[in-house]
Amino acid sequence: MLEVQTYPTVGEAASAMDDRARFLGGGTLIMNRVNYGDRRFTRIVRTTDASLSEIRAQGDRLEVGAGVKMAEILASRDLDFLSPAARAVGGPAIRNMASVGGNLMAPHPYGDLAVALLALDADVRMVSGEEMSLEDFLARRNGVVRSLLVRRPQGDEFRFRKVSRVKPKGISVMSMAAHLTRSAGRLSGVRIAYGAMARTPVRVRAVENALEGVSLDLAGISAALSVATEGLDPPDDPIASGWYRREVAPVHLRRLLLGEDAR
Amino acid sequence: MPTEYRKDLFADERSDDFDIVGKPIIRQDILGHVTGRSKFYDDHAFDGLLHMRCVRSAHHHARIRSVDSSAAERQDGVVRVLGGRDVPVNVNTLLSLINFGRDDEPLLAIGKVGYVGQPILAIVATSVRAAQEAVDAVKVEYEELPHVLDVEEALKPEAPIVNEEYPNNTFDYFDTYDHQKLRFGDVETAFSRADHIVEGEYQMSPIEQAPMETCGAIAAPETNDRITVHTSTQALFFSVGVTAKQLDISSARLHFIGGTVGGGFGGKVDSHHEPLAALACLATGKPVKYMWDRAEEMQVGGPRGGERWRIKDGVMRDGRIIARAFTGFFDAGAYTRLSSYAVQKSTGHLPGPYSIPNVASNVYCVFTNRTPSTAMRGFGITAVDFAIERHMDKVARAVGMDPIELRILNAYRDGDMKAHRREAKNCALIESCQAVAQKTGWSLSADAMRASSKVGGGEGALGVIPETVTDDEGRIGERRRSGLAPEPLSGQGTRRLLPEGYSSNNSSAFGNAPQREDMEAEIERLGFKGATVVSSTPQGPADQTASSARPIEPRETAHAVHPAGARGGPSLPAAYTQRPASTINQPIAQPPERAPGTPVVQQPATPPAAAEAENESAATHFQRGVRRPGVSRFISGSRRR
Repeated sequence: MLEVQTYPTVGEAASAMDDRARFLGGGTLIMNRVNYGDRRFTRIVRTTDASLSEIRAQGDRLEVGAGVKMAEILASRDLDFLSPAARAVGGPAIRNMASVGGNLMAPHPYGDLAVALLALDADVRMVSGEEMSLEDFLARRNGVVRSLLVRRPQGDEFRFRKVSRVKPKGISVMSMAAHLTRSAGRLSGVRIAYGAMARTPVRVRAVENALEGVSLDLAGISAALSVATEGLDPPDDPIASGWYRREVAPVHLRRLLLGEDAR
Repeated sequence: MPTEYRKDLFADERSDDFDIVGKPIIRQDILGHVTGRSKFYDDHAFDGLLHMRCVRSAHHHARIRSVDSSAAERQDGVVRVLGGRDVPVNVNTLLSLINFGRDDEPLLAIGKVGYVGQPILAIVATSVRAAQEAVDAVKVEYEELPHVLDVEEALKPEAPIVNEEYPNNTFDYFDTYDHQKLRFGDVETAFSRADHIVEGEYQMSPIEQAPMETCGAIAAPETNDRITVHTSTQALFFSVGVTAKQLDISSARLHFIGGTVGGGFGGKVDSHHEPLAALACLATGKPVKYMWDRAEEMQVGGPRGGERWRIKDGVMRDGRIIARAFTGFFDAGAYTRLSSYAVQKSTGHLPGPYSIPNVASNVYCVFTNRTPSTAMRGFGITAVDFAIERHMDKVARAVGMDPIELRILNAYRDGDMKAHRREAKNCALIESCQAVAQKTGWSLSADAMRASSKVGGGEGALGVIPETVTDDEGRIGERRRSGLAPEPLSGQGTRRLLPEGYSSNNSSAFGNAPQREDMEAEIERLGFKGATVVSSTPQGPADQTASSARPIEPRETAHAVHPAGARGGPSLPAAYTQRPASTINQPIAQPPERAPGTPVVQQPATPPAAAEAENESAATHFQRGVRRPGVSRFISGSRRR
């Protein structure tokens, strides 16, 4: 039998977690599993803690509660840079329920917002207060997340693109995010992240390295395009084969970097 | 884009009131769907509804050593565990209702499983979760058997037996052959004089119908010992019949409610949920829902079967295809369901919309350890059509011809004789090709642009049933014993020669009179004008454009004995001769002279006059409308529109 447990604070909820429990954020992932009779868990743990839904400034960073919904990101002026990624998640009904914390946990090929946050070098704050980079968190993906900490990018240096066959609600063939920081007119310290190209959203260091010190034009990025999928083994799934993902990734990377319109 | 009607084409054959294409039209069921008011089977709520889940095979092919459900039965919420022995008539085949094929598929497997996901036990519990947890608690001990997943592997002598009812891994046709034959003309001789031989192999994968609402049914007790079944079936009366048979109860006790299918596309004809839900309802006295989840729909829902087709064409330098041989393999999965019929449907479709004077085909309904396949939109036709059209392009390349012109050259024209011995009528491939070429800016030669479906049909040999070489290769069991190649006319079977004009079914090479007046197509209502309805038996010279019935004139017979005929055996294959004489009412050509001692082909026993009398009597005792005292005879009088 399946049991639902509700706690007033996220701390209590976190301490009720074990292998046979799942934490309910917006439910867009968990309820799907419930409907399909997933017997790997017997308890659903949730909290009514309002602090999880807050968006507030903390120093030079914004702290986004793990319970903040995609629709709330879209409604927030402070988080306008995340709008393209939040809008890429599901349809309106899903966006009303899907939470930031849940997106970090979403299995392949989901998790488009996490791709954007990864490129923006976001940090994760756990319920315990422990802080870690999103990249480290994605490598192990466990525990209960309290919030995300992210810096606002400057001007047009942040780019996000989702590639899907069905629009506007399709599942990712891939998603890509780039934080294109410059120094003296040339790219420097760039961060590139892909979604649906590995088990979790990943940074692509080969591309980042190839973009170091180049100018942002076709000639400048050509080396980066040639290593677009280096070190990656994109999975096959019903949306696209790994082969297809590998073949088209350079095209979408070029469009992302040069801000080209995809028809 | 505005719709363009090509009303110049066939203007004299068609009424001019076609105006549906290109206009928005309100689907009759769409208001209910978009407002959420349509009730699907799963929208029917019942107090105390029980849920059913199945224990399923973990292997492609295995003997079931033991099934232990004792732990499951003790679990909270479990109401009943049903096995194959609880089903009154456990083994069935869908088409047994029309007497086609033998019962071969258990509702719940006993002793052996033939595919991954085959149901073994059905567990009824108070919630889906409880039923699922009980399924997890059942212990099934298997002894794995070798399995076969490829159609041609399954034909080999060493292949494991998939389906005990058909131990040769092929469906039996006419109790005689392991395949469905089609023979028209003499492909071997034609191949030998062709300028090019073009061969190709085409493989289509199984396809899941993927309906929006997964298959299922809710069965609930009704008053007077009846059972109400809400179901997503596409085949309501079929499901009633199957349920009545498998539960061994009168269909009068079954009240089936359907109509909202929730997306079918052919995948909801298998009538598997209704008997199980109704059985559980009988066993518990409670309403029971049996619904597949999405994973089950994908894994155990019958898909469109995979098909493999090999085509061999004999082509002349000018692009004329003079012979075409097919070898087709239809992957039925572990049980027959509708695949036996798909094979016949595909055979009726050969050789595609082209006039080819020599056609032979062997099509196999093969059992493999895959999910049993079933209906899906045009099954039996879609894959072979794909193969044929890919092959036409290949032929075009081989002879260096424009692919559209090749199609126009070989297309059926009105009056051509089709391989299944009916005259081609209302052909429109040429005009379609021309319109496509025009719309896409594809240039065609003047000849191809001038061609017409109405000109040149039936010229020379293309209008008659040719002298036909037949054989008795591939009798049931022979292939599996000897490893005989699957291609038509590839072995050393007994060849026979059927005379020109001979139609094996002797029914309607030129459109026979229908058995009953009511079956006569009302041509003017189908949109053809200039045609008056023809009386069921043609008398005197008929208007050839209007008549659907044209008797064969007895032909002068002076055919040379084909060399193959000389080494022929004593009689024709049973499929060609086992026809009741009363259905034969056309005089046919005399067979050619035969070697002494060779029995003559069975002759029609009914002279034409007697046949007419029979048709007349058939017409008088069946009329449209109802004739019962006190009932308007028009109550069911409008069968069309």
